[in-house]
Amino acid sequence: MRTEWNGWLAFGVVWALTLAPGFTLLWKYKARPGEAEGAPPFWPAESRIPRREDRATLVLFAHPQCPCTRASVAELARLMAQLDDRLRAWVVILRPSDVGAEWDGSDLWQRAAEIPGVTVVRDGDGVESSRFRASTSGATVLYDTSGRLLFSGGITSARGHEGDSAGLERIRSLIRTGKADRSDAPVFGCSLRHAGRPSPAPLEETR
Amino acid sequence: MKTESTADLAAQAIVLRAEERFQAHRMEIVTWTDRFFARLMVGEWLFAIALALFFSPYAWEGKTRTVHVHVWAAVFLGAAICAFPVALAIRRAGWVVTRHVIAAAQMLWSALFIHLTGGRIETHFHVFGSLGILAFYRDWPVLATATLFVAGDHLIRGLVWPESVYGIASPEWWRFLEHVFWVAFSVVFLAMSCRRSLKEMRLIAERGAHIEALSEAEWRRSSVLERVAKVSA
Repeated sequence: MRTEWNGWLAFGVVWALTLAPGFTLLWKYKARPGEAEGAPPFWPAESRIPRREDRATLVLFAHPQCPCTRASVAELARLMAQLDDRLRAWVVILRPSDVGAEWDGSDLWQRAAEIPGVTVVRDGDGVESSRFRASTSGATVLYDTSGRLLFSGGITSARGHEGDSAGLERIRSLIRTGKADRSDAPVFGCSLRHAGRPSPAPLEETR
Repeated sequence: MKTESTADLAAQAIVLRAEERFQAHRMEIVTWTDRFFARLMVGEWLFAIALALFFSPYAWEGKTRTVHVHVWAAVFLGAAICAFPVALAIRRAGWVVTRHVIAAAQMLWSALFIHLTGGRIETHFHVFGSLGILAFYRDWPVLATATLFVAGDHLIRGLVWPESVYGIASPEWWRFLEHVFWVAFSVVFLAMSCRRSLKEMRLIAERGAHIEALSEAEWRRSSVLERVAKVSA
């Protein structure tokens, strides 16, 4: 009986010692942000995305196959439900030229297109994401009516994790009060970088 | 004097018989529930793998894809969660330790499902559903173990990585209590229900023991009468 008890105890210890690092690794993966290069301080003049002058413009860059970006799109839907009348949003979806048609019909595209106040556009070879220096899916930029950068970062708290986040709260605060404790937040998602993508534009300090 | 002592012995026998019936019934319930959870956990494991393969099969670096961490987590972490409780349920069904390990593992399943579904608020209902199923044991300490696991998870993650639980970097220290409160809220009522079920089981056991004792006494009396009748004839 005692031998059996010791056997189960050893099994339990091994179990706990396996699960603890397992969950820790999973948490670490989810908490590891993607690359952030810093968005241009002013709306890039060469961008083909129209900027509104009567309300702030938000642009979210997405990789159509990135499962983590579903959470960013879900958070964008929450944001638009709260601030629809004070915000115009674009979801810019990466479309490298040499990939299959399945990149166009992803559920991410459909989910984004269903959000009121959001327009979805295709980003051929990542030209627009490069102009805005967005290198991680889920990267979100917010510009005011004069084209000045208000916020650049992610709107989820972890990789593919829905719920409140610092980025989302900062955007809300910027739209409602014009100020926030910070103007950035980590971005969690798949990389938008690929061969054939133009090099990101250098940061311009002036318009 | 002799009559009183016979009555006492008869009453004691009934009490003992009721206790035996009660314990046998309880063991039958916990053994069945242990085995039920073993099957449920294997089902949860397969479901987790299907979920990961369907919703997040790949992570992407531009045009290059790799198998998503969720798939590995569902396969290996899921298998690890199942291993100990399922082994216990097969080899040591009915053991007290078995149901407490199962309660802890079931809460770990909730945590893994929440990860795999990207923190969707709907997946958090798995915690409450699991508490309801754990109440099958009719053993409130099992619910307490599950609650402690949820509280521990929220406390540790709230200290180490608060954004993963609350979405903000510096929540109030007591914030985890808010989440634990709602778990405790359901656990309190489930525990009350468990205690009530146990009382009813005890009552059923006592009635069964009484009926058994009466029918045995009746059988003995009728046997004696039959023998007397035979002798008289």
